[in-house]
Amino acid sequence: MKQPETKPSDMQHLSVAIQRYRPEQDDTPVWQSYQVPYDDSTSVLDALHWIKEHQDSSLTYRWSCRMAICGSCGVMVDGTPKLGCKTFLRDYPQGLKVAALANFPIEKDLVVDMSRFLQHLTTIKPYLIGEPSLVQAGSASAGSDQPSSAALQPQLQSPEQVKRYQQFANCINCGLCYSACPQFGLNPEFLGPAAIALAHRYNLDSRDQGKAERQPALNSKDGVWSCTFVGFCSTVCPKGVDPAAAINQGKIVSTMDGVIQWFSPKQLDATPQEPTS
Amino acid sequence: MSRKPYQPSMPADWWLKHPAYRFYMLREATVLPLLFFIGSLLYGLYCLSQGEASWLVWLSWLQQPWVMALNGLALVASLFHAFTFFRLFPQVMPLRVGSRTLPAGWMIAGQWFGVLLVFLALWWLLGAYHVIN
Amino acid sequence: MKQLTTDVLIVGGGGAGLRSAIAAAEAQPSLSIHLLSKVYPMRSHTVAAEGGAAAVTLQHDSIAAHFEDTVAGSDWLAEQGVVDFFVKHAYQELVQLEHWGCPWSRQASGQVQVRRFGGMKTERTWFAADKTGFHILHTLFQTSLKYPSIHRLDEYFLLDLLVHEQAIVGVLAIEIASGELLQILASSVILATGGAGRVFQFNTNGGIVTGDGMALAYRHGVALRDMEFVQYHPTGLPGSGILITEACRGEGGILLNKDGYRYLQDYGLGPETPLGQPQNKTMELGPRDKLSQAFWHEQQQGRTIQHPQGDVVHLDLRHLGQRYLLERLPFICELAKAYVNIDPVTAPIPIRPAVHYTMGGILTDAHCATSIRGLFAVGECASVGLHGANRLGSNSLSELLVFGKVAGEQAAAHCSQTKVSDAVMQELTDKAAGPIRQLRQGDGTEQWADIRQQLAQTMEQGCGIYRDEQGLTASLLAIADLKRRYQQLKVGDSGLAFNTELLHALELGFSLDVAEAMCQAALLRKESRGAHQRRDANYTKRNDKNFLQHSLAYYQEDQAPRIDWQAVDCSMMPPAARLYGDAAKQQAASTSEKPV
Repeated sequence: MKQPETKPSDMQHLSVAIQRYRPEQDDTPVWQSYQVPYDDSTSVLDALHWIKEHQDSSLTYRWSCRMAICGSCGVMVDGTPKLGCKTFLRDYPQGLKVAALANFPIEKDLVVDMSRFLQHLTTIKPYLIGEPSLVQAGSASAGSDQPSSAALQPQLQSPEQVKRYQQFANCINCGLCYSACPQFGLNPEFLGPAAIALAHRYNLDSRDQGKAERQPALNSKDGVWSCTFVGFCSTVCPKGVDPAAAINQGKIVSTMDGVIQWFSPKQLDATPQEPTS
Repeated sequence: MSRKPYQPSMPADWWLKHPAYRFYMLREATVLPLLFFIGSLLYGLYCLSQGEASWLVWLSWLQQPWVMALNGLALVASLFHAFTFFRLFPQVMPLRVGSRTLPAGWMIAGQWFGVLLVFLALWWLLGAYHVIN
Repeated sequence: MKQLTTDVLIVGGGGAGLRSAIAAAEAQPSLSIHLLSKVYPMRSHTVAAEGGAAAVTLQHDSIAAHFEDTVAGSDWLAEQGVVDFFVKHAYQELVQLEHWGCPWSRQASGQVQVRRFGGMKTERTWFAADKTGFHILHTLFQTSLKYPSIHRLDEYFLLDLLVHEQAIVGVLAIEIASGELLQILASSVILATGGAGRVFQFNTNGGIVTGDGMALAYRHGVALRDMEFVQYHPTGLPGSGILITEACRGEGGILLNKDGYRYLQDYGLGPETPLGQPQNKTMELGPRDKLSQAFWHEQQQGRTIQHPQGDVVHLDLRHLGQRYLLERLPFICELAKAYVNIDPVTAPIPIRPAVHYTMGGILTDAHCATSIRGLFAVGECASVGLHGANRLGSNSLSELLVFGKVAGEQAAAHCSQTKVSDAVMQELTDKAAGPIRQLRQGDGTEQWADIRQQLAQTMEQGCGIYRDEQGLTASLLAIADLKRRYQQLKVGDSGLAFNTELLHALELGFSLDVAEAMCQAALLRKESRGAHQRRDANYTKRNDKNFLQHSLAYYQEDQAPRIDWQAVDCSMMPPAARLYGDAAKQQAASTSEKPV
C-alpha cells in the first residue's frame, strides 16, 4: 500500500472522523477522530491505511484494487457515498467524516452486509439467456490449424449494438447507488439501481432473448416502480453507469409490457369466456 | 455470537440530510403551488357558470396580493419543475439518430425551445384577443 | 465449528476460480460445487486486468505463430506441450465468453476486434475497451449465477488444506464476518488464489494478492516452480503502482526519457518506428521484461525524469487524439486524471515499472493436478508451465479460461466418496487451526504492518529487476529475521467479527514463505533469463547448459527452501536467441532462406 514519500511528521495533518461500530462492544456506532498526515495524492483509503497501521489496528474496512475498479471500498464521506480510493483528502481542507455505506446493515466499522444486494443481483438473471445465434457465424475464423473452428464462432454484434448496453455493463457493484437511494433505505426489497441497470444491460444486448424472464421481477412493486427518480444514484456512480436512466427506461418497457399484456389474446384467453358468434 | 449487524433506520427527516435529497423534495413540492393554481382555475370556472357578477368577484379575488403571489409562485414552480423534468428527459428517452445518441444538451435545449414556442403562441393569441376588443 | 461436505471445492473467486466452477458444473450437474473466496468474486484481482486476452483469430495468423511467440517470450522456459495445448484452445474459450455475453470490442462489421500486444507477432488480443479483466470477471461471475449447483462462500478465508496420506480431504476456513471456523470436506479442491505481487513495494496488484494458496500448497510439500520469475510491468503509475495497460503501447503510445528520446531503440528493440505506426515485437511492443530492464538502465544513467514520487519516464499518447483515446482507453484516461492529475490527451503520463505478475507458482502437470491427490491449482497461483521466464501480455487472461476449464473438469472427474475417519479429520483440523489460534493468543510485541513493510522493502531491494548474490543473500537473511519476528506478532484487535488485522497477519505469514522461495530460487539461478536478470559477473547471460531447467522450491521448516531442478519440455522448438525489433526480422529472414 502506498506510503507518503516524505516523512509524516513533515506533512500537513487533517482531521478524519470515522464512524466506528465494533459489534462485540458497541450497541450503536460511535465517532472517533484521527489526525492523518496527507499530501496531494492521499486518498481516503490511504488515510484509512495510515490509521490502521499507525493508530488503531482494529479499524475495519474493505479494500483491494485501489484503482476504482474492484468496488470494495465504498464509504460515506461527509454524507455522500464515495469510493475511498478515488476520493482525496486535498478536497476536504476542513477535515472529513467517514462512515459505513448508508442503507446497509453495518457488520463492523466501515464494513456493511451486502448480501441483500447480491440477492437482488441474482433475482434479475444477469446473464445471456437463449441459444447463441450461430447462423451469423463470422468469417473471421482463426488460421487453418485451428482445431474444430467450426464448432464455436462468435456472434456478430456491431459497435452500435455494443454501445447500446455498454454503459450499463460498466457497473462495478460497489453499492454506492444503494446508499444514495432513499427508496432502498425505506424498502430494502426494492431491487435497486445497480441490479435494475444490469437487467437493462442484458435486455438491451442484441444477443439476449431473456427479457420475458427478467420482466416479472422488474414489473413487480419492488421493481422499477419503486423508483421515484430521485436521481442521486446516478450522481454518485463512480463509473458513469447512470442507473437512474436504466430504471426509468425500464419503466417505459414495463408500461409497454402492461399495455401489450392488456391487449394480448393470451390475456383474454386467461379469463374463461363463452365463444361469441 | 460475534456477529451483530447494526441495522440503521431512516430518520423521518432523511430528506433534509443531503442537498441532493432537498433538491429532490423541492422538485416534488412544486406540486403544492400548482395545486393552488388549479384550485383557483376551477373556482374561476365555477364563477363563470354562476353569471357575470360572480365572475367579477373571481377577477377581483385574483387581484389580491396574496393570490397573485401564490400564482406567481406557481409559475416559478412550474418553470423549475420543467427545468428538472427537461434535464431528466434525455436519461429516460435517449434519442438515437443513426448510430449516435443525440447529446443531452441538444434535447434539453429543444425542450426549452418548445416552451418558448408555446409562450410566443400564447402571446400572439392574447395580442389577437386585445386587437379584437 | 461448522462443517460442510461438498464434491468440488474451489478456493478463489477470480477468473480461474469462476471458470473452473462453471466447467465443473457443466461437466457433472449433479455435483455440489462450492466456491470459497476471501472477497466477493467481483472484487478479485482479475478485475484489474486491462489490455486483453490472446487467441489466434485473424486469417493470416497461425497457431504456430502464437506458440513461437509464447515460447520465445518465455525465454524457452515454458513447457512446450502445455503451450501447444493452450494456443489451440484459447480461441474457443474467448468465443465461449462471447456466448456468455462478454462485451468484446467490435469491428464495424460486427466481428470481434483484435489489438496489438507486446511480444506478439500479430494482432491477436481480444479486448473490451481497456477493462478486459473487469468484463471477463463480471461475465463469468454473472454467468455462474445460472448454475444452481454452484454455491458461493463469499468472504471466507482459507486457513489451511487438510491433507491425509498425500490426498486432499478438505480445507479449514474462517467465516470472516463471524470469525467462526468452517471445516469443509471435499475430495477435489482447486486452488485459484492468484499471485503474490504484494510481497513487493511497488506493484500493480490489489491488497488481496498475497500468495495464500501458493504458501499453503508449499507448506504441504507441493513444489513452487520458477518462483524467481516475477514480472515487472513497464508502465505503472509512480507512488501507487497503478497499472497503465500495455494496450496503450499496442494502440501506438511511445516511451520517452527526460530528453524526449525513444530510448528503447538503444536496447535491441529498434529501429524507431514512425509515430502512430506501431510495429509488432518492435520498440514499445517489445516484451515486458526487456522494457522494464531498459527503464532500469536509463535510471542508472540519469536519463529518467524526477517526479515527486520517484523516477519516471513518459508514456506519450497525445498523438492518438481525444476521440480514439476515449474509445479505446477510457479507463486509462480516468486513472491518469484521478491518480496523477494528467489528461493523456494533452500531456504524457509519468510511469515506472511495477511488479505485476508471478510467473511461477504451484507446480502442476498439464492437467492442473498437483502432487497431492485431488488438489488442483490454476491461474496465477499455479505454474502449469505456460509462461516460463517471462509472460507475454494478454496470455494470462486466456490462461484463466483455458486451464480454468481443464481444472474444473479434472476436479469434477476426480471427486470420490472416500471417507476419512472422524478422528483423522479432527486431528488434521486441530493442526490446521494452529496458526490462527497462535495469532489470537499471541502476546508478542511485533506489529503486522511493520513486518509487511520491511518485507516489501527488502524484496524490492534484493529481488527487483536486476539481482545479484549480495542483494539476494541480504534479502534472505532479512526474511529469515522477519519470520522470527513474525512468531512474536501481536494482533491488537481481539474481536472475532470481521477481524481484518488477523487476516492481514495470516496473509503476511503466507507472503513471507512465498518471498523466501522467490529469493532462494533467484539466488541459485546463476544466469539471466527473461524476468530474472543477474548482475554478477558470470551470470549476465542466459546459460542453457546449466539452467535450461525449472527451479522447484520445496518448503523446509525453519530454513530456506530446498531447490531442485526439473527438465523443460523443449520437444517442439529448440532454444534459440531471443530477438526483437530488426534483429528478429533478420533472423526470420535468414531462417526462411535455409532449405527445409
